Amino acid sequence: MQYKSQAVAKPYFIAAIGLFVGQILFGLIMGYQYVVGDFLFPAIPFNVARMVHTNLLIVWILFGFMGAAYYLIPEEAETELFSPKLAWIMFWIFLVAGALTIVGYLAVPYATLAKMTGNDILATMGREFLEQPLPTKVGIVIVALAFLFNISMTVLKGRKTSISLVLLLGLWGLAIFFLFSFYNPSNLVMDKYFWWWTVHLWVEGVWELILGAMLAFVLIKITGVDREVIEKWLYIIIAMTLITGIIGTGHHYFWIGTPEYWQWFGSVFSALEPIPFFMMTVFAFNMVNRRRREHPNKAATLWALGTSVMAFLGAGVWGFLHTLSPVNFYTHGTQITAAHGHLSFYGAYAMVNLTMISYAMPMLRGRSANSGSAQIMEMWSFWLMTVSMVFITLFLTAAGILQIWLQRMGTTPLGFMAAQDQVMLFYWLREITGFVFLIGLVLYIWSFFCKKGTAQAAA
Amino acid sequence: MSETFTKSMARNIFYGGAVFFFLLFLALTFDTVQSVPKRSHSEGVTDSVIRGKHIWETRDCIGCHTLLGEGAYFAPELGNVYKRRGGEFIKAWIRAQPTGAPGRRQMPQFNLTDQQLDDLVNFLKWTSEINTTRNWPPNIEG
Amino acid sequence: MINNTSTSHEIHATPPGDLAIWFFIFAELLAFGVFFVAYAFARAHNVALFDESQQHLNRTSGAINTLVLITSSYFMVRAVAAIKQGLSRECARWIAAAIGMGGVFLVIKLFEFHAKFSAGISLSTNTFYMFYLSLTIFHFMHVILGMVILAAVMLKARGGGYSAENHTGVETGASYWHMVDLLWIILFPLVYVIH
Repeated sequence: MQYKSQAVAKPYFIAAIGLFVGQILFGLIMGYQYVVGDFLFPAIPFNVARMVHTNLLIVWILFGFMGAAYYLIPEEAETELFSPKLAWIMFWIFLVAGALTIVGYLAVPYATLAKMTGNDILATMGREFLEQPLPTKVGIVIVALAFLFNISMTVLKGRKTSISLVLLLGLWGLAIFFLFSFYNPSNLVMDKYFWWWTVHLWVEGVWELILGAMLAFVLIKITGVDREVIEKWLYIIIAMTLITGIIGTGHHYFWIGTPEYWQWFGSVFSALEPIPFFMMTVFAFNMVNRRRREHPNKAATLWALGTSVMAFLGAGVWGFLHTLSPVNFYTHGTQITAAHGHLSFYGAYAMVNLTMISYAMPMLRGRSANSGSAQIMEMWSFWLMTVSMVFITLFLTAAGILQIWLQRMGTTPLGFMAAQDQVMLFYWLREITGFVFLIGLVLYIWSFFCKKGTAQAAA
Repeated sequence: MSETFTKSMARNIFYGGAVFFFLLFLALTFDTVQSVPKRSHSEGVTDSVIRGKHIWETRDCIGCHTLLGEGAYFAPELGNVYKRRGGEFIKAWIRAQPTGAPGRRQMPQFNLTDQQLDDLVNFLKWTSEINTTRNWPPNIEG
Repeated sequence: MINNTSTSHEIHATPPGDLAIWFFIFAELLAFGVFFVAYAFARAHNVALFDESQQHLNRTSGAINTLVLITSSYFMVRAVAAIKQGLSRECARWIAAAIGMGGVFLVIKLFEFHAKFSAGISLSTNTFYMFYLSLTIFHFMHVILGMVILAAVMLKARGGGYSAENHTGVETGASYWHMVDLLWIILFPLVYVIH
């Protein structure tokens, strides 16, 4: 840690991990509800658990991004953060608002929550991933603006590197495209069309800029490869991301009442979407092979390489699997989508945050790397979480294929619930694997408290 | 002579490519927005349909069901449920929840009024009439 | 062209211009390439419709535009040759000529689009017109982008920003412009002629 104000990243990282645990616990509840339908009913109906699961995901990823920015920007700009105090205030506002929202989901029926929070003034709730009550949405905008102001001012007064510019661009884009969550036209087709401007242009657009910048930063630090080299590849990769990903939005416009040409535009451009992910994998491995120093934090290196591989598998390969419209005709809205969602979110956004945390946390605690035994424990957690997520994905894919076969092909298709009963085995396997993931996560957190061995002194 | 690969050119390509493809996206969006009213029969979006959409949203139906394939995969597709089951069945079904069958997936009781049920059914009816490409979903089971 | 044989026959280990533009060119060719394949695929399933609709395209204007772009590409070749001899002003003039031809292309194309749109043809008319309009408008936008790139190169050349030793920028612009030309040379026979 080179600048005092970077310390403000620490609470963000801790909150991120805490919320991550919550996300996994609710994921396990949902996974169990898939096999034992009335589990926890009516206390926590499935839709509530899912809301908590996905919203916690978004919030912890955002906490991770913000923590990463607070850590990375001062070091890149070579100056103290514009206002650490503002960062602290926003931390508590965001955490309390997030917690209140989750409590709201769990404590009162959703319709009551909507009534209480002014959804009748401006109806924005009840759309997937954007279920947050109006005050929470407004709060997110305020926190995002204060955060962006803080880091933009920091960059303006200091050194302007490509990494910070790309990160800033990604974060500004994140805030701007979130504004579409306030737009809810009464025509469902229009609603869905612009809903994707938040959802797709986040995860397959501006978030990838953030991901690229974070990964590039960690790679510079752990490999010591020349900044010029890393930054120009960063530009090329994110250029490819946007060239393919923006029109690639079209793969969501196949079956929602939008014109037929989206079949072609969506298929063609999203077929190219794996390219930037593949480039990122090659890039990460190349940089590590060309390293000019042996960084003591081996765990962070593992996370960085793992991110590039898993993002390619989850977003690239599993995305491509069902992105062509003739295939998507059958797979749309099945467990295939769930499989892709799990591996891509874990592989890209969960893992890049864990990479950043793995690199930065020891620094924030005054050492360049954790002790050998702590790192080994962390690497175990890496493998447990990553491999179990791969298996969760495989089981969901198998469930999806069977579901499609039974419910959508042939002359005597089964009804939805009848088909679900047939794929129950895979849901059981998925739930069991989910517990392995949880063990990995517990081990991960445990590695922070591992006292054995000696830590590397601060660089 | 051409060992050149500069950061500034890489940056230009990023900015140029991003702006270029976003403009193309805007052009396509413009065309889409023009054609949605016809494809979705927007004249059919009555006050009742709008109220129905509001019921759909405030009960977080999307947290279990899919609608035109988007949402959660815990419960059946509802984009074509009107065609599959008809309005009366849908209303009776919602009124009868939860089934309480042990071990089976449960749908909450939302205590909707008759008016609200009619609105919801009208919304689902209108949705089922949207002109989706190749008449997605693949069959009546959704 | 008076040119030193040893340089004009130089074998390049890497493509001319900045390598970065080649990533862009690669992505563009891939996008168009997949679109062309999709066109062939869609046509194979609907030959009658494609042949019938194709009759209504204006092949004359398409052919003229082909010549216009090839001429424009030639002007860019002259521009690169000029800067290799250190002739900045001449280089800028050749680029201006190339941009001018790009402008001619756009004007002819606009007349063509105008005729189609007045006839009530849109992306949703049928699959053929979807491809015709998508591909030609997509290409049209590339011509505009190419002209913007060339204009930037021209301004720098005019200001003496390039020299016989350092002319990567001119080659970079020329590479992109040749790609735009190449795409049209494939697009024109594919969409307008072959049936």
